[in-house]
Amino acid sequence: MLINLKTKIWLTICSIVLMFSFFTLFYFPRQQGNLLINNYNTEIQNLANTVALGVKIAITEQNFEGVQTAIEFVKGDPRLQFVSMLQYDTVWDAAHSNYQIKKTVFKTFPENEHPGPGIVSNDSVIIKIAPYVTNVMSGAIQLGFSTKAIITSKEKIRNTSLIVSSTVFFIGILIGLWLARNISVPVLALRDAANRVGEGDLNQKVKHIHHDEIGELGKAFNKMVDDLAKTRQELNEKNIQLSATVATLNNTLLELKNTHAQLIQSEKMASLGELTAGIAHEIQNPLNFVNNFSEVNIELIDEMLEELTKNNFIDTLAIANDIKENERKIKHHGKRADSIIKGMLEHSRASTGIKGPTDINLLADEYLRLAYHGLRAKEKSFNASLKTDYDPAVGNINIISQDIGRVILNLITNAFYAVAEKKKQVGEGYEPVVAVSTKKIGNKVFITVKDNGNGVPQKLIDKIFQPFFTTKPTGQGTGLGLSLSYDIVTKVHNGEIKVTTVEGEGAEFVIVLPV
Amino acid sequence: MLLAFNMNKQLLSLYKKLRAFGYARVMLAIFVLSFSLVAKSQEAPLSAVGNPLGAPADMKLAELKSILLGEKQRWKNGNRIIIALMKTNTQIGKNTSARIYDMTGDQLNKYWLALVFQGKAQAPTFFNSTSDLETFVAQTPGAIGIVDKPTIDGDVKPVSINGQKTF
Repeated sequence: MLINLKTKIWLTICSIVLMFSFFTLFYFPRQQGNLLINNYNTEIQNLANTVALGVKIAITEQNFEGVQTAIEFVKGDPRLQFVSMLQYDTVWDAAHSNYQIKKTVFKTFPENEHPGPGIVSNDSVIIKIAPYVTNVMSGAIQLGFSTKAIITSKEKIRNTSLIVSSTVFFIGILIGLWLARNISVPVLALRDAANRVGEGDLNQKVKHIHHDEIGELGKAFNKMVDDLAKTRQELNEKNIQLSATVATLNNTLLELKNTHAQLIQSEKMASLGELTAGIAHEIQNPLNFVNNFSEVNIELIDEMLEELTKNNFIDTLAIANDIKENERKIKHHGKRADSIIKGMLEHSRASTGIKGPTDINLLADEYLRLAYHGLRAKEKSFNASLKTDYDPAVGNINIISQDIGRVILNLITNAFYAVAEKKKQVGEGYEPVVAVSTKKIGNKVFITVKDNGNGVPQKLIDKIFQPFFTTKPTGQGTGLGLSLSYDIVTKVHNGEIKVTTVEGEGAEFVIVLPV
Repeated sequence: MLLAFNMNKQLLSLYKKLRAFGYARVMLAIFVLSFSLVAKSQEAPLSAVGNPLGAPADMKLAELKSILLGEKQRWKNGNRIIIALMKTNTQIGKNTSARIYDMTGDQLNKYWLALVFQGKAQAPTFFNSTSDLETFVAQTPGAIGIVDKPTIDGDVKPVSINGQKTF
């Protein structure tokens, strides 16, 4: 249950006033009444004691001054009802064996009062007894004082308490009103202003600033709103600038993406370029077969026509069979050339991104020979030993063949480059070797490309997979080959690509693909 | 009184001894005679002294008794009557108590206590010596006191009772 500030203020004021009222109306009068009665009793007892002492002195020393003064003092008190001097006599029985103390009233003032010796206090009179003992006589002074004064005093106290309680209650109401006005109202105004600011209205200000802490809170609130408005203005301006910057950045990003795509395409074209000679060499072979066998078939057809004119059907049939056989070979080599062209076309096209079962051994071998022939086409003096070790257990695995093929080609091309460079440096006595092997271990396929070139310096190992990093002279490489290969293997195929190298001795790259 | 009491005690002792010898009657007569002699010695004369401002030079014994009993409270000149007496444990006090008031000392105390209690009179002032009494009377206007012999002090005046200096 929410109790608002005004209610809390009123509850506090009412609690204080009620407690004070209880105190002044009940507790205080009662305490004062008891105090009055106790003091009254003590005073009367003291007076009785004084008179008794005076009587004793008067009897024993014949000095009546004390008792005279005490009696005059007591008689002058308007509350006096009576003062009696009692006499106690010892009365023996006839046998003188038992006695009784007989109390009689010796004298009483005023004379018209006749209190008995055994009178006790009641609601209207308080009786106090003070004994005296002398050789001549023993007795007591019996003092009776009226309670009217006490009752009157109690009533006065009660009336005063009522007046005070009412005054306090009235003052409490006024204080409550004043507090409610000076605390609750400005706080509520502050709350309303804060709510409107929260809704977005930054023109809200707290008016009527008081000269106290709440006033300071109001000033701080107004300053906060001003600062908020200023900040919002600045934010809006920055927002506009930011939007322009974002637009520029978007354009730049688009250009970068385009450039990236172009670079990748360039890389593809570059690798394709690397393959061109190899491809040409590879195509040349089947085309040679096609050409040669086609020429042979032309000659055979001429022979067959000649035999036909001679009606030599047996020779004609034999020649026809030869022609058919040659046509099969032409078809075979034609398909070879066709598949090579198709493969290269696929290589030049963008990756479809669709994985499909691919013979890794075939792929690796094809790109090895293409790369080698491509390099030999450019450097006729270049020779290298090609070593292969393909694990038949590898079989087909689900990969994007264009992409993995590009990776294998990149590694092989780099290996050939490395051994070629070393050959240039070392010259005679150095035998370049490039080895490609595949292995299936468990649910992983390992494709290894190893060379005995110059290797990679240890300080560059961490950089070789970074985009645009290359150790080749300017113009000879885009620096994207290994970076693209790394992304294809790790991000697209969830594989790994590792390098082991000894500077001056060679390098080994291993592609690990999950089956 | 004390002297008489002591004498009687000795005579009583003598009586007890002589009784043994059969002279009881004779000794009893002697005992009674000695007591009466002692009693007669108590009736010593008394004198009244007063302050010049108040007490007259002469008054009747009845008036004196009335004053000393507290029945009369003021002199003719309007001054309040202040009574000065010797304490009843003195011979003069005893005489005064017996002859004027016809009371013992204790009875006198009770008498004045009753009057004071009821506010009917002001109690006398009691003294141990006549010189103190006379000094008090000399210094207190309206005071009157009872002593054994007339004073020769000029500050107090003797008051004749029934024309006599002593009574």
